Amino acid sequence: MEVSPVLQWITFGIFAFISIAGALGMATTMSMFRSGIFLMASFIGVAGLFILLLADLLALLQIMMYIGGMLVMILFMLLFSGDPGGAMMSTHMRLRGPEWFFSLGLARSPQSKADGNKDDSSPDKGNHEEEGEKEGNHGNDDMSMFTPVKRAAALLSVGIGALLIALLLWRPHWAVVRQMPDQDSPRRIGHLLMDKYMLAFEGAGLLILLGIFGAVMLQRPGKHPDPTQREDLQAAVDAPPAPIKTDSPFETAEPDQETEK
Amino acid sequence: MMSVLAPLLALLAGAWLTAWLEPNWLGAGSERGPASPVKIAADVRLTQSDPWLYYAGPVIAFMGVSWAMVCIPFSPSLVGNDVNIGLFYFIVVVDFVVLGIALGGWGANTPASVEACYRTIAQLIAYVIPLGLAIIGPIMMARSLSTVNIVEAQANAQLWYLIPQPLGFALYVATGLIQTYRAPFLEPFAELLNRGVLGVFGGWKGLLWRLALSGVLFVVAAMGAVIFLGGYSGPLLPGPVWMVIKTVGLMALMVWLGRQARLLSTAEILMLSWKILIPVGLLNVLIVGGLILLGVGQEPFSPGADY
Repeated sequence: MEVSPVLQWITFGIFAFISIAGALGMATTMSMFRSGIFLMASFIGVAGLFILLLADLLALLQIMMYIGGMLVMILFMLLFSGDPGGAMMSTHMRLRGPEWFFSLGLARSPQSKADGNKDDSSPDKGNHEEEGEKEGNHGNDDMSMFTPVKRAAALLSVGIGALLIALLLWRPHWAVVRQMPDQDSPRRIGHLLMDKYMLAFEGAGLLILLGIFGAVMLQRPGKHPDPTQREDLQAAVDAPPAPIKTDSPFETAEPDQETEK
Repeated sequence: MMSVLAPLLALLAGAWLTAWLEPNWLGAGSERGPASPVKIAADVRLTQSDPWLYYAGPVIAFMGVSWAMVCIPFSPSLVGNDVNIGLFYFIVVVDFVVLGIALGGWGANTPASVEACYRTIAQLIAYVIPLGLAIIGPIMMARSLSTVNIVEAQANAQLWYLIPQPLGFALYVATGLIQTYRAPFLEPFAELLNRGVLGVFGGWKGLLWRLALSGVLFVVAAMGAVIFLGGYSGPLLPGPVWMVIKTVGLMALMVWLGRQARLLSTAEILMLSWKILIPVGLLNVLIVGGLILLGVGQEPFSPGADY
């Protein structure tokens, strides 16, 4: 298919922007769900670059893997994480730059703002600042996001990235091939998979099958449960939960005073 | 320009067709799911929504359906773009509807819509593998992934793939119903969940949801007509007319069949998928392989026969 060079450059720009902005958003947003969606957008941008390279089957495989697989992954991530929507983090932290931009609209609703400003005279104060005052650490952020370790890690990653890009640019000649790639790439890939690399392909299939069997076996309830173990588990479930320790002075202060008296 | 506008127009017509066909012609069930009458409510103002995802949801869902429309042929010339991996493109692009529902459900941030989001993703897991297994049969017989080539192969062999592969067709209808959230599988849009994402979207977003969810039944039925019922090929009448007749017939069949079963929960859908649909799909692939070895559905003129 003939595409004019201008259009090619525009398309390349759009897909490159999607993949880079998606990666940036993935790393900086406070919401787990948004983070996963941004990662998906980033990979879809890479799939667009594949299409631009006439590797359409590869691009579609990538999109299929990342929509189907990553949606399931996001689901499990939500089930396991405490604050998947990022509402608490984004209201407790003072955000700047890309973190602020990619966390826009998280728990900044008129409802929560009205609640937050109920006992505050100045209405233009932000919700998160008020929370900070209440906890008494207005100056420093309490969610341990801005630590020296983080800064060092960021510098290290920027250094490694710059090194990699420099190595790429250092190479003097990019090989330019005039030959057009095969238009019927799925047939070619299929023949390669079923002919030359059949052993590796079947091996991967067998491994996945074993994984499924393993998951099913782990999921099955045991036929001969150990009664003592079961009683221990039941006792652990029935036991009253330990009181939650928090750093907030308001919640821990009252029981402490009672015990001192 | 024509190739952009024609699929969109066809999709709008198809969405209207669905909205007309489902409630009026086939009678109203107690639960309608996404087939509820097209009534655009006033825009809902949610207090705790995630605004980015809330607005992205309906747009992405509609985008997926309109992209899927591109590779459906109404005649050899009346097709948006005859991609050489058309069928694979179709099953990939329709997944964007699920992504849109998940985004919208999470973004609206009401308990019912978030639960609808979870259940939608579970349904995605349930239908993807059986759908792939159902589609592999026609691909094996036609030896091509291009939708136009599949129709040509059926016309050359004088055989609809429905006849040698009834199991594959049944599988396609079942997974199509799961995919389009129609009658027995409408849990994410049930009244119990406040009609899922449809309950919390109004205005232009509600309109886009209705278009996407009506269009997805049309798109899935049209693709079923292409791969199992011979697409636009037929005697006397012109190609597009045959295609529309077959599509509407398949839509009616799917909706009617769906009304015959009781509603299933998501857990039951997953159980059905793993215990019945996937084994049936594997059996279907085995049978189709045997039929191809016997020469059924093969014709010297079929595209790709020289390989």
